[in-house]
Amino acid sequence: MRAICVVAALAMVIGGAGAAHGERTQKGNLILRLDGGLSPLRLPRHHPAPVTVHLEAGLHTDDGSLLPRVTRIELGLPAKGVVSTRGLPVCPPRRLRDAKPPEALAACRGALVGRGRLKALVRVPKQDPFEIETRLLAFNGRVDGGRGVILHAYAADPPTVVVLPFQLRQGSGRFGLALVVKLSPALGPWPRLESFEMTLARRYAYRGRARSYLSASCPIPERQTAGFFSLAHAGMTLAGGRQIGTAITRGCRARR
Amino acid sequence: MHRRTIAITLLLAASLLAVATAPAAEAPTRDEYVERLEKVCKPDALATQRAMKGARADIQAERLPVAAKKFARATLIFGSTVKQISAVPRPSADAERLRKWFTYLKRQESYLRQITEQLRQDHAIKAQRLTARFIHSGNLANNVVLAFGFDWCSFKFSRYG
Repeated sequence: MRAICVVAALAMVIGGAGAAHGERTQKGNLILRLDGGLSPLRLPRHHPAPVTVHLEAGLHTDDGSLLPRVTRIELGLPAKGVVSTRGLPVCPPRRLRDAKPPEALAACRGALVGRGRLKALVRVPKQDPFEIETRLLAFNGRVDGGRGVILHAYAADPPTVVVLPFQLRQGSGRFGLALVVKLSPALGPWPRLESFEMTLARRYAYRGRARSYLSASCPIPERQTAGFFSLAHAGMTLAGGRQIGTAITRGCRARR
Repeated sequence: MHRRTIAITLLLAASLLAVATAPAAEAPTRDEYVERLEKVCKPDALATQRAMKGARADIQAERLPVAAKKFARATLIFGSTVKQISAVPRPSADAERLRKWFTYLKRQESYLRQITEQLRQDHAIKAQRLTARFIHSGNLANNVVLAFGFDWCSFKFSRYG
């Protein structure tokens, strides 16, 4: 059984469905923004149901100065949900190297678990910095012998393909699942992460049963209609060891 | 007589000057202000975490009177924190921004009090709606003082159980 616990079930304090406003935090001149949501908002109280998780994060400086290099990203998700990879094909990262999106999909469509976009500022010595916008494809994969998400990032101009292996780890506290990637080995010293958005969802069938990559419930008492939960945490380590992180709270409604 | 008048005048002028310059001398820089507030907020934030421990489980198990007691304690702590940090002299350049911040904090305190009251009266749905407002005000408060880089003085929902 590979369907181990993870994502969302919902630590409940009373609450109405929260509108998705991005939360921000600032350290020095650096501002980190995190936004996201769960869909559908109406979920069963007592058993997990398939969900889609959308996350957006961005970095900027309040004085317009150059962004520092991000060396590590950790995305925390709630502990009581479910990430199921049972019966889901695994995409080996080598199949994605140098592949454009159609080729990546042709090689690993069965393992696709999400899509998104990523923007970075590239600063090569003796050149003006330029922005690069990539399309992201997320595949179920194995990283360091454990479960993971392999992110395939493709930019048409300049033509760039990057493969980022996110390790699926046991988190701590409220965020029992952590997706962790070390960026420096994969990207080198030049790119500065500006923003990314990612939608994770995958419905599939295994041995005649419908399954979902992500599932969650809204376990609130019968006479309450809605609840709040900590949906996600984004933590970034910057070159030099400085860290910045923020979390977002969202609501769910109980399905009758 | 003449010398005495001069002396009194000088003394008076000196006192007026001292009074006039006192607020400017006391006004801290933003960094000093943040440091002073964080010292107040840290023990209170930790006390809130302790006070609210298990509140979610209580609400989930419909032990609303038990949760109400925890919210009441959190309300007291929150109120005391706001009172203490309100008294700290503010950087003059940030006066307007901090006025807005304190408005949101007062609003949060009021919501906490109302949540406690609704839980005491066993009105779960009303408490639920007020919690949404409490969180929203907290996020607005955080946005106002984003540039201050508060840690313990910023609103974090995770501290409430």
